[in-house]
Amino acid sequence: MKFSGLGYLIKEGIKSIWTNRMMSIASIGVLISCLLLTGAAELLTINVSSALESIGGTNVTRVFLEQHITDLEAVHIGDELARIPNVEKTVFISKDDAIKDYQDTLREDIFEQLTGEGNPMPNAIDVTMTDLAYYDDTIAAVLATEGVESARDTREIAQKLTMLNDLVGTMSLWIMAALVLISIFIISNTIRMTMYSRRFEISIMKSVGATDTFVRIPFVIEGMVIGLISGVIASGLLAVLYNVVLNTMKDIVALSFVPYSQVGLWASLAFVVAGVAIGALGSVVSIGRYLRKEGNELLGW
Amino acid sequence: MIEFRNVSKVYPTGTHALNKASLTIEKGEFVFIVGSSGAGKSTFLKLIMREEVPTSGSIIVNGMQLDKMKRRHVPMLRRTMGIVFQDFRLIDKMTVYDNVAFAMRAIGARPRAIKKRVPYILELVGLEGKGDRYPSELSGGEQQRVGLARALVNNPQMIIADEPTGNIDPEMSYEIIELLSEINKRGTTILIVTHELDLVQSFNRRVITIEKGVVVSDTVDIQS
Repeated sequence: MKFSGLGYLIKEGIKSIWTNRMMSIASIGVLISCLLLTGAAELLTINVSSALESIGGTNVTRVFLEQHITDLEAVHIGDELARIPNVEKTVFISKDDAIKDYQDTLREDIFEQLTGEGNPMPNAIDVTMTDLAYYDDTIAAVLATEGVESARDTREIAQKLTMLNDLVGTMSLWIMAALVLISIFIISNTIRMTMYSRRFEISIMKSVGATDTFVRIPFVIEGMVIGLISGVIASGLLAVLYNVVLNTMKDIVALSFVPYSQVGLWASLAFVVAGVAIGALGSVVSIGRYLRKEGNELLGW
Repeated sequence: MIEFRNVSKVYPTGTHALNKASLTIEKGEFVFIVGSSGAGKSTFLKLIMREEVPTSGSIIVNGMQLDKMKRRHVPMLRRTMGIVFQDFRLIDKMTVYDNVAFAMRAIGARPRAIKKRVPYILELVGLEGKGDRYPSELSGGEQQRVGLARALVNNPQMIIADEPTGNIDPEMSYEIIELLSEINKRGTTILIVTHELDLVQSFNRRVITIEKGVVVSDTVDIQS
């Protein structure tokens, strides 16, 4: 196609958004809502995954040693544990390190009493397993080792979080799919209305020999511009909303959240690309059948 | 050039619009197609424009075989013809100039070519100086001239006029047919569907009469 013709078609597409501004605004609104909901679902998944990681992963079990075990003995026990089949590695956690985990949650005076001599924490070893399927056997071997007092079973929490993560992941996928379909439907409806209002022009274009592609382009551009506008606005709104929610949640839940700066660029890019793609797809869906009509049938006479 | 060989058209409703019609219209001819309403004239035009496909028989228009034509080739066929409608079919919100330019833009013409061609065609149909008017500001005859300018602007081999004088007064009707005669002198084939027999008689051209889907008479152009 000649470039000059393309310029004309792009202008026509953009003009049409203004001509049908009420429908355009409605589709932009719906598309923004859909993109935001999808983005929220995706960000929830990312944050649950991140929380899961911050809890210490799924295959690390903290093993507590008997109170009398010294640091040196603890290191030896660590080496011994590392030789148990299915144990990938062991990390020694001294009682001083262990109490530091509570520094933020305890009052300063209480924390000070608990450091040094008054430290109630036993020495511990973080045991990383290769395969959680052999958890029971491995933990039995660990507990049978001399000097080992007990092991914290993080499996249940990890399992619950993994389940939640999977559930959120699956649900967000379905929500996304449903919202994309709704968006395509809404856009295709808007474009169909535009086509209807321009059916007279389309019939003249066809009668003078305009190709289907030529007739189609302004509508596809209209859909894409609606998608682009929605994507940009949704990106801005997501940035604001995410930070508001994050600041509120930080005070309520003691979990580390993914900062917006880490996901913002990707989210914005995804919104814009998804918006434009949904816009284009919505238009193509609505035009196909219309283009097959001829003459008075096209005009509905 | 138009060639119909044993062309029949039966609509899904069961209506037999054309029944084994055969005729040939050579390049550069000026032909009136007449017949009462429902005789098959509209179907005849729709078949030429490839808005409909024949149930049987073969159709060749401007060197293209229509009965076997793929949909994607239809635009190329339509670029060889200019169509004039009874109801003018002008876009109200566009000026005269833009209505004519629209036909060029629709086939991807360059702005420079449009700027050069549209004023020339407007002058040819006697609308010089009226390019910035809107259709509603023009008389019926003038509106049909815009329709004719639009049909001519892409330099087609053939003009198909479907009841071009149906919505304008008799004097203007005569002028429109005169204008089409002038265009015919430049080598463009002219096909006019009409039921105004007085007008047909005053021009003394080839007349094809269709009744009940059959070509019942075909008088030879006595001028050429």
